[in-house]
Amino acid sequence: MYSQELLKGTLQTIVLSLLAEKERMYGYEITQHVKEKTAGQIQLTEGALYPTLHKLEAEGFLTTEKVSIGKRVRKYYSLTENGNKQANEKVNEFRRFSETMNDLLNSFNPNPELQWRS
Amino acid sequence: MAELTELQVELIDAYIKENGVAQNELQVDLLDHLCTSIEHRIEQGESFEEAFQYTLNLFGPGGLKQVQNETFELLTEMNAIMKKVTFGFGLTSTFLLLAGTIFKLMHWPFASIMMVLGAGLLVLGYLPMILAHKLKESPRGEALLHISGFVGLSLTSVGVLFKVMHWPGASVTLLGGMAVLAFGYVPIYFFKRYRTSANRSITLSSSMVSLACLILIFALMKTGNSTWYEHGVMLTNTDVAEQLERTSAVNRELHTRTGDELNLLRTESDRLVSHIDALKLELVAWAANVTPAEAATIRLNDLEKKHDMAVPHDLLLGTENELRDGEFSAVQLKQLFDSYRQLVLDQYPTDLHPTLDRSIGLRTDGTYKDAHGEPQNWMQHEFAYTPLFTVITNLTNWQLEIRQMENQVLLSKISRPEASNPPS
Repeated sequence: MYSQELLKGTLQTIVLSLLAEKERMYGYEITQHVKEKTAGQIQLTEGALYPTLHKLEAEGFLTTEKVSIGKRVRKYYSLTENGNKQANEKVNEFRRFSETMNDLLNSFNPNPELQWRS
Repeated sequence: MAELTELQVELIDAYIKENGVAQNELQVDLLDHLCTSIEHRIEQGESFEEAFQYTLNLFGPGGLKQVQNETFELLTEMNAIMKKVTFGFGLTSTFLLLAGTIFKLMHWPFASIMMVLGAGLLVLGYLPMILAHKLKESPRGEALLHISGFVGLSLTSVGVLFKVMHWPGASVTLLGGMAVLAFGYVPIYFFKRYRTSANRSITLSSSMVSLACLILIFALMKTGNSTWYEHGVMLTNTDVAEQLERTSAVNRELHTRTGDELNLLRTESDRLVSHIDALKLELVAWAANVTPAEAATIRLNDLEKKHDMAVPHDLLLGTENELRDGEFSAVQLKQLFDSYRQLVLDQYPTDLHPTLDRSIGLRTDGTYKDAHGEPQNWMQHEFAYTPLFTVITNLTNWQLEIRQMENQVLLSKISRPEASNPPS
């Protein structure tokens, strides 16, 4: 499982890209989906997910629709037009970032003994 | 799929509300989330209680309330508009204060309005927005740092404004603000940052420099005029007062040798000297905020506001909006001087008037220039923003001039009794 520190900056990207793929989702569904897709390597904490969803909604990237389920209401989140653009941007940005990180880290050899001999 | 009973849903709903989640939209989100999660766990064979507890634990030690706090923080982050507004406030107030200061120095109109607006915008607009932003973006433990900085800076700005505008309470406000900065902000900043800072010597030196700056400003504020200069002026004042006493005594004696002829001169001289005495008391009374009778017991040297320029200006000239011309005004003083001068001239033969007019005291018809070369009349020249102790020294000096003019008339009468009654 990755550290929360590492996930912090990527939460918006994860949520946006998921919603771009799956038309509309509700909160619990998002956490479960991420967990399954990453074989438990990434677990969105509930405490971080909802603040992010509300923030994205306030910024106009997400819109919600409410569906009653028995006694309670389920809120489905989906991307707005702006949200779609934002999802593309965020995903592209992260791809570039991850490539750069790869390049950067390729030169690093984690085995100190090997370094010593060369 | 297991479905919760209505009662269980209500139970969860009540739990959410009880645990400090007040925001409606978030309540809806959390209720559905908790219910769905619990239903899943129940399906896997857990009891309702177990599933409920398990789900809650997923929210971490801060619980549901933490979710709301984080949501609130994210939503209230300074957005682009707020940044622009804050920047606008900062820029406008800086511009207004700068222009106001320049206008004030050049004695151009609207200087005061600009300075008040600039300082108001700074204290009521810019600083609170920066404070709100700082409180939101930094950890809880630093609230005191930012609040003390805000209070200190606000009070200092208001104090400086009041000082410039000659409003009451300026010094107290300014000192209070600087004390908060020196004993609150700087020490807190130092202790908060020193431990965690990457470059400790920079943190240490910046704390020391800000403290040194505050001490310098404080010293500057307290010094005012140099004490030696002050001592010199006080000495002159005492000398003039002594000479006034001596001349008055001589005049009293001379009056006993002249007849009733000079009674009018005597009463008018005494009246004008007493009027100036009363004016001096009135000035001290205004400055010390006491009655004129109490003011008589105050020594000028002990008067805290002896450097004050507003008291003589306001009493003698009035404010910019409302010029004074009643009792103790400069206008009244000029009239009294002019008529006394005429009375003295009338004691001499008419052919001497042009010569004497140039030599005797209490001239009020001169033209003067202020520091910027603008023409001033006698009243402005003497009383516009002149320190209180200078005005009082000048008043004593005029009293001496009165007694000397009276003295000259008396001496001329005694030496040439016929001169005042030229044969017709």
